[in-house]
Amino acid sequence: MLNFLKILATPEFFFSIIRISAPILFATLAAIVVEKAGFANIGLEGLMMFSALSGSLVSYYAGSWFWGFLAALATGVLMSLLMGFFAFKLKTDIILVGIAVNMMGSGGTLFLCKVITNLTEGKAMASTTGLITKSLCIPDITIPLVNKIPFLGAVLSGHNLLTYLAFLFVLLTSIMLYKTSLGLNIRAVGENANAASSVGVSVLRIKYIAMAFSGLMSGFGGAFMSMAYAQGWSQDMVSGRGFIALAAQAMGGGECLGGMLSALVFGFAQALGIKFSAVGLDSNLASPIPYAVTIIGLVVFAVVRNNRIKKQHSAAALAKSAEK
Amino acid sequence: MTKRRQMRFTIIRSLVAILIALLVATILIFISAAGATFQDKLEATREALKQMLAGPLFRFSKKSGTAFEAKRLADILAAMIPTIFTGLSVCVMFSANQFNLGAEGGIMLGAFITAMAAIYMPLFAGLHPLVAVLLGGAVVAVVMLLPALLKTKLNVSEMVCSLMLNYIIMYVIKFLMNTYLADKSRGQIMSYAFRETANIPPIINNSVFSGAKLTWGFVIAILAVILCGLFMYRSRWGYAIRMIGINQDFAKYSGMKVGGVIVLSQLLGGFLAGAGGGIEMLGRYTNFSWSALPGYGWTGITIAILAGNNPYMVPLAAFFMAYLSKGCDLMATYAKVPAQLIDIVQGVIFLFFAAEQFLSGYRQKLVVKSAQEEIEMAKAQKEGI
Amino acid sequence: MPDGKTLSAEEFVVQMKGITKVYPNGVAANQGVDFNLRRGEIHALMGENGAGKSTLMKMLFGLEQPTSGEIIVNGEKLELTSPSVAIAHGIGMVHQHFMLVPSLSVAENMVLGMVPRKSGIFIDRAKAIEITREYSEKFNLKVEPEAKVVDIPVGMKQKVEILKALVRGARILIMDEPTAVLTSQETAELFVELKNLKNQGYTIVFISHKLNEIMEITDRLTIMRNGRSMGVYNTCDVTKEDISRLMVGRDVVLSVQKDKAVPGDTVLKIRDLEYVNEWHKKMLDKVSFDVRKGEILGIAGVEGNGQKELVDMLFNFNVPNSGTVTVNGVNILGMPQRKIRELGVSLVPEDRMLYGIAAGASIEENVISDRASEKHLNNGPLFNMKAIHEEADRLIKEYTVLCKSRSQHVGMLSGGNIQKVVVAREFSNDPVLILADQPTRGIDVGATEFIRKKLVELSRSGIAVLLVSADLNEVMELSDSLIVMHNGQIAAYFEDTAGLTDEIMGEYMLGLKKQTEEEVRRACHD
Repeated sequence: MLNFLKILATPEFFFSIIRISAPILFATLAAIVVEKAGFANIGLEGLMMFSALSGSLVSYYAGSWFWGFLAALATGVLMSLLMGFFAFKLKTDIILVGIAVNMMGSGGTLFLCKVITNLTEGKAMASTTGLITKSLCIPDITIPLVNKIPFLGAVLSGHNLLTYLAFLFVLLTSIMLYKTSLGLNIRAVGENANAASSVGVSVLRIKYIAMAFSGLMSGFGGAFMSMAYAQGWSQDMVSGRGFIALAAQAMGGGECLGGMLSALVFGFAQALGIKFSAVGLDSNLASPIPYAVTIIGLVVFAVVRNNRIKKQHSAAALAKSAEK
Repeated sequence: MTKRRQMRFTIIRSLVAILIALLVATILIFISAAGATFQDKLEATREALKQMLAGPLFRFSKKSGTAFEAKRLADILAAMIPTIFTGLSVCVMFSANQFNLGAEGGIMLGAFITAMAAIYMPLFAGLHPLVAVLLGGAVVAVVMLLPALLKTKLNVSEMVCSLMLNYIIMYVIKFLMNTYLADKSRGQIMSYAFRETANIPPIINNSVFSGAKLTWGFVIAILAVILCGLFMYRSRWGYAIRMIGINQDFAKYSGMKVGGVIVLSQLLGGFLAGAGGGIEMLGRYTNFSWSALPGYGWTGITIAILAGNNPYMVPLAAFFMAYLSKGCDLMATYAKVPAQLIDIVQGVIFLFFAAEQFLSGYRQKLVVKSAQEEIEMAKAQKEGI
Repeated sequence: MPDGKTLSAEEFVVQMKGITKVYPNGVAANQGVDFNLRRGEIHALMGENGAGKSTLMKMLFGLEQPTSGEIIVNGEKLELTSPSVAIAHGIGMVHQHFMLVPSLSVAENMVLGMVPRKSGIFIDRAKAIEITREYSEKFNLKVEPEAKVVDIPVGMKQKVEILKALVRGARILIMDEPTAVLTSQETAELFVELKNLKNQGYTIVFISHKLNEIMEITDRLTIMRNGRSMGVYNTCDVTKEDISRLMVGRDVVLSVQKDKAVPGDTVLKIRDLEYVNEWHKKMLDKVSFDVRKGEILGIAGVEGNGQKELVDMLFNFNVPNSGTVTVNGVNILGMPQRKIRELGVSLVPEDRMLYGIAAGASIEENVISDRASEKHLNNGPLFNMKAIHEEADRLIKEYTVLCKSRSQHVGMLSGGNIQKVVVAREFSNDPVLILADQPTRGIDVGATEFIRKKLVELSRSGIAVLLVSADLNEVMELSDSLIVMHNGQIAAYFEDTAGLTDEIMGEYMLGLKKQTEEEVRRACHD
């Protein structure tokens, strides 16, 4: 037990928490923004799968991670806009749109991967790991000076560019939501669409923008999965992170900071699982921990929320009786 | 709108959705088809489409020509068994407007529990599969209590909760298999063999289907469809589930026990998924070796959407999906188009089926026509008086 | 008394001429209405619910377009196709249900849709606050720019709404029942502010039912009834009684044949019901009355005087702060709807699309929703389809629901036929008490007449009926005894409706008169 704790107290462990949290964090920010705009995008999982695939393929063909990275972002945005078209224009239940995208994201990406590799490589490949070299991945960054700090340096420095971007985006998304007119419009549309449209805010436009933002974040998340977390794309590699993000959004109270903390909790749970296997425990015992933590987190969040509502009610009742 | 007109609209709409999906499929096949010239590609595409659309029932060979293939039909029917169950499961839960996506984990857990009962529970033939399958169903039903109760008591999203449960179920089963239950003498991780008493036997002598295995499980699945249909359309509980799905406020005002019925719908959904997994296990396999979620739950969602949450339409939708899936498999074998095309086709059909406004202009015309007729009728009635 | 001819057209900032509005469902909400506003006046627009005031104002604000007629603003003939067009021409509206975003600050709500920015994308919060302060001071409407709207009192929310209109350049303000949500102190404050605005040359349309307020603050008034204008008057030229008579009254008197009621035992007994809503407004104030077997007790009143809250309590959509409600001696407060129904209480709900029906289900499925579990419709675990079909067909026939078959979706029926489906269910389950809340609102004459006859027939067969209706015609014709509600209280109880005139009703409905406590106490038959 003591030995195990020793393993946890290493900088590597904290480093891995941050690393593992990054893709969940991107997806969580996506979930937060669409939720602020008044709906839910449960297709994040599928969007990340498609972005991960396009990112790794384009970086291979272009010979540059940068183009792959851009392709991943573009894929996320374009697909999310298409989702918006089905949801807002054709009035498909947005949950069903999400389910459809997730379905396609699972097998459809494999189909595309096979077809495209077959066309260019002459043989159908079930993953792109064979094509991607380290140089086609998004680079890690060593922060000068910080990396010299004992312990903390090893935790904070040397992460992937996207990991830093993920945490930067917590700040940027928060600023976008609370400091810009776009954010104001998003929040107004989500809370009282009638009020927003009565002063000339185009509700539909704002919803498409929120949707595109979630696609952009999924693009980052997908790029991270296939171009940073792993070298190359493989089937079902996102493995539920898009769903966990939905829970992180709820647990974080729908705010960026809370969402980040929730994402870190999941990162911790998953990092812990990996350590479990390192000390010889079955990884299958550790792997469900993040998912179980999600359910527990949702329950705790719901209880807290319900209690708060109850308190408000009793406060209102108190005021009533005082009036009498 | 009259029922007939409604029906006609539904059929036309479905056909158009399927056509669009096939069009998308054709384009993708064309892109992936082998061939240097446009002509070659076209030829390859035609070949692939032939395999996909007709292959599930016919064998094409240069020597003996085109011939009906009973084995392939039997394969399709056999493939329908698990998806009929997950389709029914999703129908029941979605009818109550509960987006529980736990059929995927449910069918795996049901298969696992049933498999364990088939291995470790000594019972005599006949009773054994029955008990094992019922046990599988019951365990999953109990597990589904979690999202159901969290939803009704705490308003926790049943969707996220059930999604998480899928993963937990998968990993826990993998852990149990790895650690305790695997037959260590085997090269890969699989359980000990089921007791012979637990087998669900094939319906017809295998030689008829030249080796295909269609078990009594298929008959049970069809039976389940009928029971489920009766439950949804001919019983007060199914009625309550549907009314809650259409208008929960109305159901409450009418005096229905809304919370209880929502829990019931997910219990039943869990049971159906679990039992389906059990029947699939005992009919098709001799030991448990699933190491990942089987995907039947997601297909079940597509089937439920295609069937419009109507249990009686589930076999048709399941047949359609199984047929497509078989077609894609054959296409992969004979035309080198990856079989996962099915997922894209499935997704496209799904989207257009679920799109409320798809072909809404046409629907509007029908509604207007109906309204005009109603007015005429009112006039006629007044004149009659 | 009516004026307007003596003025030249230039003096009007708004002229609405010959406005007719027919909704797609065939309801003519406005018929040839003329409405004029002088610059710098406070103009009351009065009328009962459904008289067409809201429709008229919606057209002025661009939310609806007239079927015919023209709107001239500042001498220019306009096509007001959307609120933005109206705003651009200096017309602002303060809605009864505030159009505010609760989690945003007052300043943010003020500038929503026209946010001052710095560096292109950022909200210039200081500027927003400054704008808010500036307007707040200029018009003497005190608000806290940095407070979140969710935290501020209703009175301040309303000020924010007014400021929102002003900051967008409104010179003409439409105020839809602004005092309905305010306490008397807040109302007094509002009036000071409105007079102040008027002195600065702003024109205000003031929609209200409250006579005292109208007399206090308005210069002229337009009265509407049944979609038509009843004329324009200078407020100083008319008395409250005149207004009441013009506003409350019936154009067509339909008469329903009915025998004299022979009331039996008390079924519904309500004592000292009190309810304070979430905005601390007292909606029910010591309401006590009985409904007896074989009688129809009507509740009349201008909407918003506690009728809705009362019905909510009787079917557990809400719980009162104090008081008792019993049905045949059993307390029903807080009881699940299922149990209330088991006691034999039926409700024809006011909002029939929300509660009354499942639009996506068949007629048959809708008429059995309250009795699906009953023995005679079931055969063991399954429905007895034969019995259900018979029941549905019988009800469709008895209630003359116009449809192709029992399997037709209710949502496809017309409003009148939908309501017939609701009453077919609610009237046919052997009720001891029927609560009929606005049972004929917005439906065609044929269905209306049918439902009214049915109500009388049922009451004469010994069922207790509580009829809540804003339709004066209906409530006076059908009721055996009548209660008038005003301000959450019972303003009057009439044991016998014979000899009641519209004039008397109007005076009680609008709060000009009130019976003594002893007189009101007669509604309890202890």
